[in-house]
Amino acid sequence: MLYKTRGTGVKVYNSYILVIASLLLPTTIILVILGVNTLDIYYTAYIMEALVATELYVYFNAKARRGLNLISAMLFGGFLLSIYLQAMKILT
Amino acid sequence: MLLNRNLYTWAGLGLLVAGILVSLAAYFIFLLTWLIALGIAMLILSFILLVLGRTIPKLPPEVGSLLLETGIDNISAIVEELGIKAKAVYLPSSLTSGRPQALIPLHSNPSLPVITSPLPRRLIVRYGANPDDIGLLVATTGTIAIDMLESRPGATSAGLESALTFLFMGVLGVADGTKVTSNENHISVEIRNPRIENHNAWSHHCLGGPLASVVASVAAEAWDKPVTISQEEYHRGKCSIKLEVLG
Repeated sequence: MLYKTRGTGVKVYNSYILVIASLLLPTTIILVILGVNTLDIYYTAYIMEALVATELYVYFNAKARRGLNLISAMLFGGFLLSIYLQAMKILT
Repeated sequence: MLLNRNLYTWAGLGLLVAGILVSLAAYFIFLLTWLIALGIAMLILSFILLVLGRTIPKLPPEVGSLLLETGIDNISAIVEELGIKAKAVYLPSSLTSGRPQALIPLHSNPSLPVITSPLPRRLIVRYGANPDDIGLLVATTGTIAIDMLESRPGATSAGLESALTFLFMGVLGVADGTKVTSNENHISVEIRNPRIENHNAWSHHCLGGPLASVVASVAAEAWDKPVTISQEEYHRGKCSIKLEVLG
């Protein structure tokens, strides 16, 4: 063969997924050790980490970035909903 | 159709089902907040995997390699048959009436050709006033790769580095990053962990390898000037390419 390709062609995807997974799992362990028992805190930590990691991977192609932006928007929507529910709980 | 895609989609679907089951079991049966949170983390990962799975090209990499080799073999045959020893000049789209291409002079001149007006879109072109100023105008891997960029890169080291990293790392997945330095008419590009290996072929002497070809085309487009590959080296997981900007 004139050219020999090595490894997978989507190494950046694997790296991104590994970064996200290795952020979310230790966060859960740390929050469990700290005795956190509120789901909102877990969720807030998760989406903050996911959003920061997504922003750091600026070299994704346009299609991937569009899809990830949609997920970020969904996660942020969930975050706003949790804030709204908390506010309603305090007010009532 | 979705299931036939790839491992990302399968892993995403697996995590989606597992995440839903874990969350529901934790919420209704075990009453454990941390387990619900773990289920949510699995769901977030599954959404990401499903989205990324949709962006993987349907064409297998082997088909891409097949097409690349076929094209390079044909160019090599033409170059070898004509006994061309001159270095190719990578031209920006402004000098080729359309898209960036490589000009291979048929005769080795002591000085590199000076092209001031756009060349016609033909295989054999006359680029100067002398009778020997005839060359082959060919499309290279860089010609097609330029179309994958979202905008034309700026004529700076940072602009070129950003464009090349986006192409090699984000779009093509053939390297782990690039580093560009430029000094007057000389540009040095270092590609980290290139995953396309070069093997000696006749065409490499004039056109360079596929990665060097992409680098030269993008640099020519960024500087809007003809560019030649003066050096290309592979050493310890790095590919060093030196370019010369003409004109």
